Amino acid sequence: MNTSSTSTSTDWNALDNASFRATLREFFETRFPGEWRYPQRRLRWSEIGPWYLALSKQGWVAPNWPSQYGGMGLSPEKLIIFIEEQERWGVARAPDMGITMVGPLLINHGNEAQRAYYLPRIIAGEHIWCQGYSEPNSGSDLASLRTEAVVDGDDFIVNGQKTWTTLAQDATHIFLLVRTDKSAKKQEGISFLLADMKTPGITVRPIRNIAGSEDFCEVFLENVRVPRTSIVGELNKGWTIAKALLGFERIFLGSPKQSQYALARVQEAAQRLGLFEDTGFVDRYTKLALDVADLGALYGRFIDQVKRGETLGPDVSMLKLFATETYSRLADLLVDVVGASGALPGPIALPGGKTDALTTFYNARPATIYGGSNEVQRNILAASVLKLPS
Amino acid sequence: MTTTPDSEHAEQLNMLRESALSFAAKESPLTRARAQRRQTPGFERRFWTALAEQGWTGLLVPETMGGYEQGFAEMAEVVAALATQVAPEPVVPVLVFAGRLLTHAAPSELATRLLTEMAEGRTLPAVAWQEDITGAKDRPGQAATRLERQGDSLLLNGNKRHVRPGAGADGYIVSATDPNGLALVWVPADAAGLVVNSQALADGSYAAELDLNQVRLPASHLMAEGPGAVAALTRAYDETLIMTSVELLALVRSMLSMTQDYLRTRVQFGKPIGSFQSLQHRAVDLLIQQELTASVVTQAVALLDAQDGDATARSAMASRVKSRASDAGLQVAREAVQLHGAIGVTDEYDLGLYLQRALVLATWLGNGTQQRRRYADLTRNATAQEHA
Repeated sequence: MNTSSTSTSTDWNALDNASFRATLREFFETRFPGEWRYPQRRLRWSEIGPWYLALSKQGWVAPNWPSQYGGMGLSPEKLIIFIEEQERWGVARAPDMGITMVGPLLINHGNEAQRAYYLPRIIAGEHIWCQGYSEPNSGSDLASLRTEAVVDGDDFIVNGQKTWTTLAQDATHIFLLVRTDKSAKKQEGISFLLADMKTPGITVRPIRNIAGSEDFCEVFLENVRVPRTSIVGELNKGWTIAKALLGFERIFLGSPKQSQYALARVQEAAQRLGLFEDTGFVDRYTKLALDVADLGALYGRFIDQVKRGETLGPDVSMLKLFATETYSRLADLLVDVVGASGALPGPIALPGGKTDALTTFYNARPATIYGGSNEVQRNILAASVLKLPS
Repeated sequence: MTTTPDSEHAEQLNMLRESALSFAAKESPLTRARAQRRQTPGFERRFWTALAEQGWTGLLVPETMGGYEQGFAEMAEVVAALATQVAPEPVVPVLVFAGRLLTHAAPSELATRLLTEMAEGRTLPAVAWQEDITGAKDRPGQAATRLERQGDSLLLNGNKRHVRPGAGADGYIVSATDPNGLALVWVPADAAGLVVNSQALADGSYAAELDLNQVRLPASHLMAEGPGAVAALTRAYDETLIMTSVELLALVRSMLSMTQDYLRTRVQFGKPIGSFQSLQHRAVDLLIQQELTASVVTQAVALLDAQDGDATARSAMASRVKSRASDAGLQVAREAVQLHGAIGVTDEYDLGLYLQRALVLATWLGNGTQQRRRYADLTRNATAQEHA
């Protein structure tokens, strides 16, 4: 069996929370590159790769994985502390699909050969993964996906197109949901497939977004030959596996950190512009400040549930809704307070310092779309929590 | 199963919740709430006695004064159960606002007697501190009502507003200004020179304006003075804001639950209307407001029971939760009516009872906007320091 040189045998869970927190804090504050704190866009591998490798060397790159696979083996409570400390210092997200998705996928549903091959390479930063889920005609209705994999001898031949694939241009590998049975009900003919991005027939085209950056891509698959051993779990069980992967990490889509950061930017800009003398502004600001505070209370309730080891129910969707919509309202207010400068991309030179309004505004747009659009989340809550008829 | 102090406490609260809910459902059907509307005093003394028999009028009262000295978590269970039935009795105005003010005021023979009688269910004290028509200018530390001393007696002159209960109170703790600052004075309901004008509120209960014209009282009726009086009134006010939010949350839960039932059963165009996405999404927005309110209410009640000494943090939390609960109460009430359609605006349908109570509670002691202004004032210094 492969043993990773980076894994340590530290039992982090035996450490008391305060010492654990202090250890993380010291490391993040001294080692995380200052220029990448609180980034307002997704960072490329060329920018954040060195941090991934530094975490790897420290043995901290996979806090959620069991220690036997080179992870930190953190309990839910310790994992929450890990994420809180990252958020607190504004530590940027490295391309982490391998850590958050492929690792848990292979650990729970893969075979020994897949674990032995892929896991150490993810830990080492040698394999960078991207997620091939969405398609041009399958967004919110993901189960309608049409990228097809047909058996041909020892291989699958894959044809189709994926899109909104985050940072595919930096990825070495892709995990795909593909249709393997066209006759079955739409959820029941889907399989989970792994592929090397260098396989002939895979073409990546970055998509430029309205903020001017290339966070996601289109991935074209044309007669891509993938060995049959690359399937994860059973044939036609991909949908079930994909759903099972939605663990308690969903909670972090509802973290108040993004809104707290945006609120601080509004406050900063308002102070520079003397707006706290204006009752009308103070009323709007306070309403949003309380939305952020109350989001924190709601978030805390779900975090407590995770800490107690309970499974999250469908009600966690409300967290994502309120978090992203609060963030969006804050972005609106930020653009509003800078008035005539609201159409200036990048930092605006206000008296006393710079404020970047449009980056926040642009950032808020996909937030209410990804991770299941807010409309889909409302459908889920209506059906599963309010028990309204379909 | 292991028992910890926490799980034991949770178990006790569960038992209290169940018993309060079953008592309220049995003894206070909505027909009773309906029948008391605009019937002075707007509630039943007989029912108040039943509350006393349950021990609930003495729940927060110190043991030395005949009470049970329980926490706000316990009081919240009783308050929520009664609000669920729109029970008209002034539980929060009397037992929380006046009761806590008597507890925080300087220890005196009078305060002890009033608290003991209140715990027994025999006396209903009220607090009279507001003077402004909209309440926007009222501060717990300020009063235009004047207190003078003439020999051994006290003389009060001024006007008070928004006093609940507006009818049926046995006396009032009145705030006034004297040379030492703020003073709190006990004014029995039958004091000479006191005129009580009761006004019916939206829910058929009453609020009062007090006219205090040369009201003469013995010196023993001065319950607190100076910074101590301000601190006592502020603390009782904050505790009342939080417990009023508990009531509003109970109303929100009832209104949303009625709306869910209606959406599931009302059929139009051949389908239950709850199958329509636009209505589903609106209902979900109400659910989010309900759960936000519940999360903050839980924190606020816990803060009171933690007996943290930080008065500013307590005030900020109280304004924060009252702001959320007031706005959620009104939003859910309006939307519940809309989702019901025309039946929602009829007096016959019970939803109206909840909407009218929500109106009263959302505006009492400061609506959402007013509470946000107070929150902004309270946190401004902290904000300035953060950015210094």
